Amino acid sequence: MQFLNALMVLATEEGGESGGGLSLVLPHPEELIAGILAFLIVFFFVWRKALPTINKTLEARQQAISGQLSEAEESKREAESLLTDYRAQLAEAKSEGNRIIEEARTAGEQLKADVVARAEEEAAQILDKAREEAGNEKTRALAEARREVGQISVGLAEKIVGESLDDKMQQDLIDRYLADLERL
Amino acid sequence: MAQVILAASECDVVNEVICAPANVNELFEFPTIFTIGGFEVTRTIILMFLAAFVAVGILYFGLRKQQLVPTKFGAAVEGMVGFVRDGIARDVIGPEGTKYLPYLMAMFFFLLVGNLFEVTPLINFPITSRMAIPAFLALVTYVIFMFVGFARNNFRYLLDTIWPKAVPIGLRWLVGLIELFSIFILRPITLAVRLFANMVAGHLMLTLLLTSGVIFVAAIPEIGVKGTIGVFWFGLGLFMFLLEILIGVLQAYIFTLLTAIYIESSIHFEH
Amino acid sequence: MEGNIEALVGPLSLVGYGLGAIGPGIGIGIVAGNAITAMARQPEMQGTIRTTMFLGIALTEALALIGFVLFFIASAG
Repeated sequence: MQFLNALMVLATEEGGESGGGLSLVLPHPEELIAGILAFLIVFFFVWRKALPTINKTLEARQQAISGQLSEAEESKREAESLLTDYRAQLAEAKSEGNRIIEEARTAGEQLKADVVARAEEEAAQILDKAREEAGNEKTRALAEARREVGQISVGLAEKIVGESLDDKMQQDLIDRYLADLERL
Repeated sequence: MAQVILAASECDVVNEVICAPANVNELFEFPTIFTIGGFEVTRTIILMFLAAFVAVGILYFGLRKQQLVPTKFGAAVEGMVGFVRDGIARDVIGPEGTKYLPYLMAMFFFLLVGNLFEVTPLINFPITSRMAIPAFLALVTYVIFMFVGFARNNFRYLLDTIWPKAVPIGLRWLVGLIELFSIFILRPITLAVRLFANMVAGHLMLTLLLTSGVIFVAAIPEIGVKGTIGVFWFGLGLFMFLLEILIGVLQAYIFTLLTAIYIESSIHFEH
Repeated sequence: MEGNIEALVGPLSLVGYGLGAIGPGIGIGIVAGNAITAMARQPEMQGTIRTTMFLGIALTEALALIGFVLFFIASAG
């Protein structure tokens, strides 16, 4: 800089305004003063006004962004919890449905089993009754047949013998006869 | 533009192939418009204040409302502010960079507007092509990194620069000399001249090519076929115009980045 | 013009600047090329490499910039 200053002194001594290229290279005092003032205007504006403003703006924006971020985070969390709820409800509904179907199936099977059991029982009853009746019928028929055979035999024997036997003798005869008959 | 038109009227389209002013300063120095107490106000000085107000206006309207969802313009300004803050101050200097952020931010926006004045219609003059602004900013940067260097490292800053212990002893004096020259003298000068030279070269190219183009095309009835060279000059000028937009942004970035790098190298001074 | 050494000062300083720009041109090419190679090899180090690259370019460019200024000073004669 001292070099330049020396040159400047040299130039002004020589009347640098009228000279050739030298006055181009050296600063003119008026322009130097004007340049310094102009720069100071910008400098003080930047220092006092622009930088505090931009710092504040950036800070506010940062806060707003971080606020929005946390908000978004919260809504995301909310949505997630909602989703979990829905999932749980869905699963519950599904298991409920399964349970109902299972119940219905069990009930149906039970019903089927009941019906079959009742039918079997009824059938068995009917069979028993029929068998019993058949047995009764057989006994009665046997007794009937025995009586009739006796009476017929006695009647036949009376006719043959020609005499009527008293009741006691008649019964004995019949029994003996029947025993023989059975032995046969 | 007055200067350019003046140069145009002097242009000898018959004998020359491109219009160049007799003195380069014609393109960079403007006549005094009015005087306030001996202070000569030229177009350049008005443009410097205009650049300051444009930079302030961009920042003011871009960051005015504390909107959570910014407009397109606001988002663009916020992007640039964030770029200087994160891409330059924090990435290069580290957490300490916040301390230098006002300076870096003001520098970036002022230089950006000043550089882009070159391609702004009706202005077409980069105020950074006057040595005053680059020299002043480079001087401030120089003072800052010198002050930080001595405040952090006492006189080790100077001694270790001259006598670097990390270098083999035979080479120490040479490396020390180069480092001393580079840090204490070359850094501020190149910082200022880099910006200045880029903008001067850009402005020279643009004005010469575009005005030559217009003048030669306008002179086609007089000089015939030779005037068609103006089309070529004008086309080249348009290409340079696009290139200058890129250079304007890049130089503002590099100036700010180098300032940050120099400050960082003074904070973390190791040799 | 003939025999007038003064008239040569302007063109000579142009040639001088042209010569002075060769070295930095090559140097910046080397710096940038190697920085690109390094970035391609280790993309995670991009920030550091870019910073160092600009520092290197700034150092290399110094000569060209001094040449630029000297051109104007010399042509002012």
